Amino acid sequence: MDALLTSVGGALLLSLKLAIIIIPLVVVFELFRYLPVFRRIGTVCEPLMQGVGLSRQASLPLFTGIFLGIAYGAGIIIQVTQEKKLPPRELLLLALFLATCHAVIEDTLIFVAVGGNGWQMLGIRLFLAVGMTAMLSRFWAARRSDSSHNQEGGGGRS
Amino acid sequence: MQTSTPTEDNPAVPDVRERLKTGFAGGLQASWKLIRFVIPCFIVIDLLKGSALLDQLGEFAKPAMQLFGLPGEAVFAFLAAWLLNLYAAIAILVPLELDAWQMTQCGLMMGIAHNLLLEGGVIKSTGTKAGVVTLGRLVLSFAAGLMFFAAHRLFGVG
Repeated sequence: MDALLTSVGGALLLSLKLAIIIIPLVVVFELFRYLPVFRRIGTVCEPLMQGVGLSRQASLPLFTGIFLGIAYGAGIIIQVTQEKKLPPRELLLLALFLATCHAVIEDTLIFVAVGGNGWQMLGIRLFLAVGMTAMLSRFWAARRSDSSHNQEGGGGRS
Repeated sequence: MQTSTPTEDNPAVPDVRERLKTGFAGGLQASWKLIRFVIPCFIVIDLLKGSALLDQLGEFAKPAMQLFGLPGEAVFAFLAAWLLNLYAAIAILVPLELDAWQMTQCGLMMGIAHNLLLEGGVIKSTGTKAGVVTLGRLVLSFAAGLMFFAAHRLFGVG
């Protein structure tokens, strides 16, 4: 019986901790989401996005996903990607980036709340997502120019 | 988009009080959604901790988890993260009493790969290859875990 009480206490404490993180996060987002800065962020980050093979059209779904998460930002992501008609490869790059690196604020904070190191988690995740997307887009770009040089070759030549 | 309204570039912005209210309500709602998972998961694992069943399953997973510098029981948290969400995973991790580095490791690996079913659905609905993306997440998560453990062991990172 004591064990059960301790467990319930621990569960309630953890729930409280999580609520203390989530509620301010949602409030802050709600307060700032209408600022024009959020729209201009795409322009500022354009050179960075080109580096990972994404065009400016992908900026809204990208930043929505990075900060809000795929599940919460799903509506915006689906709507924008369908409206803008991104090319399939760019869509895959966007999905790959977001799948590995989304909701970074919330995810990181909840693990910080239980003792993790936020800068390490956040830094490594961002680095890996950028690195992987950049590599894949360069690989595709290289292969495209390669196959346009010799049309009939299998493509694997150097 | 909304050209009918007279105010210049940002027509339909609710006032601050309205936004605070929406944010607080949204935060409460999100918290409640997650706490519903967290309380039962935490209690079940906390009570089963040290039981023969959990020990044996943990023992079974030990060789795999050791590659990442984690105890065997952490496998339950990974399953919860992949199938459900990070909150369920945290509810399982907290009773296991990991050290700070191990918590960071879990945050890193699970941050990259979690909620695979739901988010896989979202990715699919944007019209790209969800299977490829999900596999990519798992591979990247394992690779990040292996590298972070190696860095921890060899250079004392974290």
